[in-house]
Amino acid sequence: MSSIKMFEKPLGMRDTFPQIYEKLEGVRETGRSFLRNRGYEFIKTPTVEYYDTVGKASAIQDATLFKLVDSQGNTLVLRPDMTTPIARVATSKLLKEKIPQRLAYFENVFRAQQQEGGRPAEFEQMGIEIIGDNSVYADAEVIMTAIELVKAYGIKSFKVTIGHAGVLSCILKDYTESAEQTEKLNELLVQRNYVGFEEAVLAFDLPKTKSDALLAFIEEALSLKSIEDIEKYMRKNDALNYMQKLWQLLAVAGFEQYIAIDFTLSSHMNYYTGMLFEVFATGSGFPLGNGGRYDGLLEQFGSNVGATGFGLRVDRLLEAMPRQEVENVTVLVLFDPQAYEQALKQATLLREQKRRVTMQSTIGLENVEAFKEQFQEVVYFSGQEEEV
Amino acid sequence: MSELTIAMPKGRIFEEAYEMLLQAGFNLPEEVEMSRKLMIEIPEEKIRFILAKPMDVPVYVEHGVADIGIAGKDVLLEQRRTVHELLDLKISQCYIASAGLPNTKMDEIAPRIATKYPNIAMKYYKGIGEQVEIIELNGSIELAPMIGLADRIVDIVSTGRTLKENGLVEYEHITDVSSRLIANPVSYRMKSERIQDLVSRLKKCVN
Repeated sequence: MSSIKMFEKPLGMRDTFPQIYEKLEGVRETGRSFLRNRGYEFIKTPTVEYYDTVGKASAIQDATLFKLVDSQGNTLVLRPDMTTPIARVATSKLLKEKIPQRLAYFENVFRAQQQEGGRPAEFEQMGIEIIGDNSVYADAEVIMTAIELVKAYGIKSFKVTIGHAGVLSCILKDYTESAEQTEKLNELLVQRNYVGFEEAVLAFDLPKTKSDALLAFIEEALSLKSIEDIEKYMRKNDALNYMQKLWQLLAVAGFEQYIAIDFTLSSHMNYYTGMLFEVFATGSGFPLGNGGRYDGLLEQFGSNVGATGFGLRVDRLLEAMPRQEVENVTVLVLFDPQAYEQALKQATLLREQKRRVTMQSTIGLENVEAFKEQFQEVVYFSGQEEEV
Repeated sequence: MSELTIAMPKGRIFEEAYEMLLQAGFNLPEEVEMSRKLMIEIPEEKIRFILAKPMDVPVYVEHGVADIGIAGKDVLLEQRRTVHELLDLKISQCYIASAGLPNTKMDEIAPRIATKYPNIAMKYYKGIGEQVEIIELNGSIELAPMIGLADRIVDIVSTGRTLKENGLVEYEHITDVSSRLIANPVSYRMKSERIQDLVSRLKKCVN
């Protein structure tokens, strides 16, 4: 390994320059007021958590956790997501005050990169969690909030794909003959490896009715027009009824156009127990975010009240958002040392009028003309008299 | 209809895959001139091909600069990138195997494996309970056992002729390989109709 140069940052760490900073702040402000208007309260948790609690409970791969050791020898992690710390704080404290809780966050999270560039190791995530509401209305609210939030950022071309862990596992269980087979097929779907799925189904040597049903399911599940179409593959059960109800609630809100149902949707996050969804938008090559019901995570923290939520990646949001010029009108008050007092008065006056004012003395500049060019408006106080 | 960018591996696979697209009824020029061009625009079908090294196709697709691509299963297994594997095109079929000098056993203390596929090799030997040391090479892998760099090699075998000519024999069949149609997860959703249409048309042409 070559030695580290003075300008280098750890792999995946990025500086935020003024222009991006402004955009980020814009995203934060829009998101904050949007979510607060819907009754979500913002919360902040520590950057560093214990590996044994948050680190282990989090569904983020162990190899991508940043780990540290404290002075007592405990392993710590830089938080890899926000859902797990929020589950921790909600189960230990907040739920005693009020139930259900509607919480929101806009925080940076950390995922170590080993492979290659192109992916940040620290990025902003924004999201909500509804904790302590088991009803389908909470799930509908989460999806609707995600849709409207994405719309609030001016993104027009986007899709939300919804599935249900219960429906999928019911189908996989019914048409396979052992738990290993079910597990294997589920894993292939997590990887979205449809070729592998078909190969595995054929290799299992299942009765023909079962393998045909699985192959037909995988084929049709990708172009499903309505939830009823899936009924022929499964027994009537709660999960399916739940999805029908959820669909109804979203249809009442008029959001069908943004939604695709995909019952093959499966997540490596094994704490997703019910409905789960992913958000995609044109402009970013990676999903904007995802969410779902994660009652399983709360159980790990010793609570069984149920929870649902979503998170969006702010870096990808910025890629998908329509470009807008950040308004940057700053007045330059330039002064010679003799005119300092006049210049200060003028600057104060302008600032009181809510203008953005940069004050700069001429003797601090090497190239006055080049500096002036960065501003649309310049007020110059020379020693003698004022000129504009 | 939205523009579709397809990442294709240069060389023989490109020709075979192109032939399949023609069969599937896509309105493409019969002959494409394959000189040094890296991009081919087909305005009639709103398709753009980008020509990449086979190992790089999944990179373009994962980052979403190509919506779909054609990649060997060997590359997909080796790189484990986040792409959807949609269809087995059953072209350029071959397999990955281990090979070595005839009648040899692997060194018991630190068996060495030379390969272009360190991840596939590592995973395979781990799976059979064997701890090995991987030596990554970029080509002419057959040399390694011949001159004593490694006990075994893990490499692509299509006819077995290269092995034979270099006095090596095949030991274990590791996995089958063929070309796959892959998709970027976002494109797969946002351009789902176009991609589904392409998949179902190509499916009919797969032998």
